[in-house]
Amino acid sequence: MVVTAEEMVEIVRERGEVEAAKEVDIVTTGTFGAMCSSGAWLNFGHADPPIKMQRIWLNDVEAYTGVAAVDAYIGATQLSETHGFEYGGGHVIEDLVRGKEIKVRAIAYGTDCYPRKELETTVTKDDINQAVLCNPRNAYQSYVAATNSRDETIYTYMGTLLPNYGNVTYSGSGSLSPLHNDPNYETIGIGTRIFLGGAQGYIFWEGTQHAPTKAMGTIMTIGNLKEMDARYIRGVTVEKYGTSLYVGLGIPIPIINERVAKTTGISDGEIKTDLTDYGTPRRDRPILREVTYSELKSGKVEINGNEVLVSPMSSLKRAREIAGVLKKWIEEKRFFLSQPVEGLSTDQVFKPMKQIAGVPFVRDVMTREVVTAKPSDSIASAAKIFAKRNFDHLPIVDAKGRLVGIATSWDIAVAVGTGKKKLSEVLSSKVITAKEDEPVDAVARRLETHKISGVPVINARGELRGILTNQDLSKLLGGRGR
Amino acid sequence: MTRKVLLRYSTQKATEPILASVIKKTEILPNILYAELSTKGGEILLSIDAPDKEVDKTIALFKQKGVEVQEIKRAIELDRDSCFDCGACLSLCPTGALYMTDDKSVELDENKCIYCELCVPSCPVRALKLSKF
Repeated sequence: MVVTAEEMVEIVRERGEVEAAKEVDIVTTGTFGAMCSSGAWLNFGHADPPIKMQRIWLNDVEAYTGVAAVDAYIGATQLSETHGFEYGGGHVIEDLVRGKEIKVRAIAYGTDCYPRKELETTVTKDDINQAVLCNPRNAYQSYVAATNSRDETIYTYMGTLLPNYGNVTYSGSGSLSPLHNDPNYETIGIGTRIFLGGAQGYIFWEGTQHAPTKAMGTIMTIGNLKEMDARYIRGVTVEKYGTSLYVGLGIPIPIINERVAKTTGISDGEIKTDLTDYGTPRRDRPILREVTYSELKSGKVEINGNEVLVSPMSSLKRAREIAGVLKKWIEEKRFFLSQPVEGLSTDQVFKPMKQIAGVPFVRDVMTREVVTAKPSDSIASAAKIFAKRNFDHLPIVDAKGRLVGIATSWDIAVAVGTGKKKLSEVLSSKVITAKEDEPVDAVARRLETHKISGVPVINARGELRGILTNQDLSKLLGGRGR
Repeated sequence: MTRKVLLRYSTQKATEPILASVIKKTEILPNILYAELSTKGGEILLSIDAPDKEVDKTIALFKQKGVEVQEIKRAIELDRDSCFDCGACLSLCPTGALYMTDDKSVELDENKCIYCELCVPSCPVRALKLSKF
């Protein structure tokens, strides 16, 4: 009997894994999510006179051609040079699958054997030799859920995250997740035949960043793009982040023993992931708590006593459809399971990047001696401060040293002009701030986004610790040369 | 049937209790979907759930009181051919106009939409389209 992973959950719940192992032969899985680490190898055949492509663009999206003369790799996240975020490598791949005509432009330095220096043509998938989807990392076993502690909306690869834990996003199909159904890789390995983009593809290696000990295993996948179906291969734009490719992927899992029967029978309520704060722009982001996939799939998650709406990002409906299609293919003998020739690593560790230069943090560059004022201070006294000292930002703090607002020299000038008396009448209370342990790069980006020249630095209690201005940042730039 | 009506006030009219007086007179209870007032005047978007004749009467009353009235028709559209139910829009929709059905399809209930437009750029395949009013 062939069942989908969702059906298997019910079977194991009702009859237990021992009975399930006897009855069920194969469990099919599925996922349909954004997989940035995707792309396709294309071979265009030779032009006459021939060209050794040095650079190539497909619909104005650059592909990598640092290999043989007319081979190129189009990556999903490469942006169009004319359409920016609206069109990228993922869209080129979808258009190829759809049989659309692609505009090709290439340049070369010219050699004795490949004299041509420029080329322009159009191709469809039928005009070229190979079109092979070849993805370095697909089908994360599990992935975190995202939220945002900051007081501003942020745009991430996990989608748009509203301020102050305003929403939650996650990506993954939970109980349908291919690798999650065989977390010990007892049946999945190199050479496993899979559903890939609507065609039959293969796993050909462990995926990049494969992290089996953290339940974040990944796979490299390969398949014939020409046979794929645009229903399961979609180019997308992730708002203010970039382009990507949604890939439909399903793995059949033969129930070779009771252990595998049990892992394929795990329900959404038993699958947990970390709810993570993407408001912290660091490699290791703070974890708020664990959430289960049944919480996430319910559409609402509780954070600090509030009910927060959830976006799945990957399509549960299409994941379910893929598991169903795979089941049907197997039943109709159109798809045959393959035995892996090699297992996937179970102890590989995902290392962080080796960096040879330290990254400066806010605490390293900020100005600590800050002149402050109280809300009750007069405009005249503030004007005097600005006159005496050469700065533009006057943080305003309460009796306990907590930041309550900020006044700029401009605010004071306006206050004088309009006859205001106290700072409390003019201070801006919505202040963009920074924390001491933030990387300077993150704050520089914030200054740029909000078009401001400095931010007060505060601690978790809201107490003023210093100020970071463009001046501090330019000092840093001078230091880098030394 | 629910109809949506956009009222445009001049600054002068904004200080009169026009909406309240219309409600009092017609006894129809419109839902305010969105309201904005600036130095240039104001806008109120109403959703009125009443028989057509009653809505027409209400619109006439607003016009009588010097308010510019425009009826809004099909302002936002979800292209089901393009949408693949990823749900990126769901957590951005403040009114639940975009929602997930039991079979995990994304659907749009236009009556609840307040045209905040948050969902439009969030759609990875541009399946949500807003026709400007």
